[in-house]
Amino acid sequence: MACVLCGQPIQIEWTLTKIFTLTKVRAPHLCRACLRQFTRIDQANACPGCGRADSPTLCYDCQRWQKAGYPLLHHRAVFQYDGAMKSFIQQYKGLGDWRLHVAFQDLIQPPKSTYVPIPTEAGHYQARGFDPVLGLFDHLSLHQWLEKADTPVPQAQKNRAGRLMTPQSFSVRPLVSLAQISQITLLDDLYTTGRTLYHAADALREAGFHGTITSFSLIR
Amino acid sequence: MRYAGMQLLLDDIKSDLSVAQAVPAMTTDGRCMRCGQKQAVTLPIGWRYCPVCVNLGRVVEGQSLFRFEAPRFPPTASLTWQGELTHAQQQASAELCASVKAQREHLLWAVTGAGKTEMLFPAIAQLLNKGGRVGVAAPRIDVVRELAPRLAQAFAHTPMAVRYGGAPWPKQDVQLTVLTTHQLLRYYHCFDLLVIDEVDAFPFAHDAALMYAAQHAVIGSMVWLSATPDQKLLQQGRRGKIGLSTLPRRFHGYPLPVPKLAWVKKVHLPQQLPQPLLDQLKKLVTTHRVLLFVPDIDWLRPIVKALRRQLNVAVQSVHAQDEAREAKVLAFRAGEIQVMVTTTILERGVTIHRCAVVVLSADSPRFGHDALIQMAGRAGRAADSPDDPVWFYVQHYTRDLQVAITTIEQLNHMKAG
Repeated sequence: MACVLCGQPIQIEWTLTKIFTLTKVRAPHLCRACLRQFTRIDQANACPGCGRADSPTLCYDCQRWQKAGYPLLHHRAVFQYDGAMKSFIQQYKGLGDWRLHVAFQDLIQPPKSTYVPIPTEAGHYQARGFDPVLGLFDHLSLHQWLEKADTPVPQAQKNRAGRLMTPQSFSVRPLVSLAQISQITLLDDLYTTGRTLYHAADALREAGFHGTITSFSLIR
Repeated sequence: MRYAGMQLLLDDIKSDLSVAQAVPAMTTDGRCMRCGQKQAVTLPIGWRYCPVCVNLGRVVEGQSLFRFEAPRFPPTASLTWQGELTHAQQQASAELCASVKAQREHLLWAVTGAGKTEMLFPAIAQLLNKGGRVGVAAPRIDVVRELAPRLAQAFAHTPMAVRYGGAPWPKQDVQLTVLTTHQLLRYYHCFDLLVIDEVDAFPFAHDAALMYAAQHAVIGSMVWLSATPDQKLLQQGRRGKIGLSTLPRRFHGYPLPVPKLAWVKKVHLPQQLPQPLLDQLKKLVTTHRVLLFVPDIDWLRPIVKALRRQLNVAVQSVHAQDEAREAKVLAFRAGEIQVMVTTTILERGVTIHRCAVVVLSADSPRFGHDALIQMAGRAGRAADSPDDPVWFYVQHYTRDLQVAITTIEQLNHMKAG
């Protein structure tokens, strides 16, 4: 196996525990040197509402969502959005290097749930040739129940206030039956203000879903 | 014309497209027309792209590459350099000029510190004077940054562009371009003379896409420069398939410092530094600046910490992903840092006055013989201090150590020619 970022061969470190306990070993797609550039979020100290690093109590932003009447998503994220992660996203989404979609799959293990990915806009899909969120999570069983209408300005080009004012653009696809399901986990690549994920949760509830909705992303 | 001699994707171009020739960016069998590689990856939507050169913008099947012509410039007198070449340099330089005139490939094998760049000046001037285009490329950005000011000074009236990832795009068409070998992917039939410096260095060596880029960027002659050329290139030279000049002497005429071996136990490295090494470093810092090479990036932090405690001088480290890399190298050159702990990133293209070289764990498989020769070549580069010490700290004697040391000794005994 070669590292998808630097092309160097990857050595899997076999330990006796790995061999004897028959745990499923997922092959890593990044070498140790590349993986080390990224900063993991310490889950024990993350905000219980949004998974932000170093915020063991509910952060100010989550308190605002709560006051505005939104049930919290109890979001979890694996990595912080630092320089290394920005350049990863630039290569994956910006340049459109599809090979990178597997980069973190051995580390993306959200709790068992019904996974609903946040969809990409049709226009972006046409330009990139792939859906970046589906790519990151395509090792999980995904339910593409949400649809997104095209918006004039992508979230990535807005400031914080602009992001928060974005109107609802998600809807649940027709003929999807949500009756049998008790829990849904929304999946996204990046949690910034939470606006996108809370809109998606709203859309599911408007379509008649009454269970729990949580969310998960690669980056916070 | 701003994009003369370049081949670009639609997204790169901010001016008139009508003057460009559009060619398919990918052939029907999936070969990228920019980097020549056939490793296309299929996207979920169904079309293919080239992952090999994606960092310069994605080449996708069905799209076009726009190629711009490279017209000649009016003749000028370009060389403003006033220096003089030594007799041996002159000879190599004349051979080089003859190859360039005959539009033939040429390998210039010159030891570290031989003054390779100066030897290029007459050949570069020869082409610039006739209105031709010249590119000087190196695999590493540090080498590009070191070359650029020297060329700008030697050809002071010739507009020059410096191109590397993240550098701003040139605003006008220039006759002289200094660039990383990756940027060559953006040029097509442009350079009447293309010089590839440090041809055996990562990432150029063994990279088929970059070799393809170099061969397609040039339209006249190609010159390879190296202190440690690989066997394939040397053989082509020896068999007369390409021109070959050998320069086994440094410009100041003194022999290359021969590395001395010192034995240490490596078990406690890098947490505990062996006492003989510390004693040696304490002695060296009284008279020299020290480049301390280590095989692993993880060693930098503990070693810097230990040395700061043990030595009473400024100690720093630098590695490839270091954001302050450029500033740190400048500070080391300026004498603000006494000991620089580093990986192979500083093995080439760096000239520090009165600099001792210490390679810790020189028997590591990470150091090939060419890397060892290059690292040793950082010492003794100035005429007033030609015998700076070079120490290899090892636990075992390896084949690479032997090849490196005997090559240096052989070069010291060789006659120019």
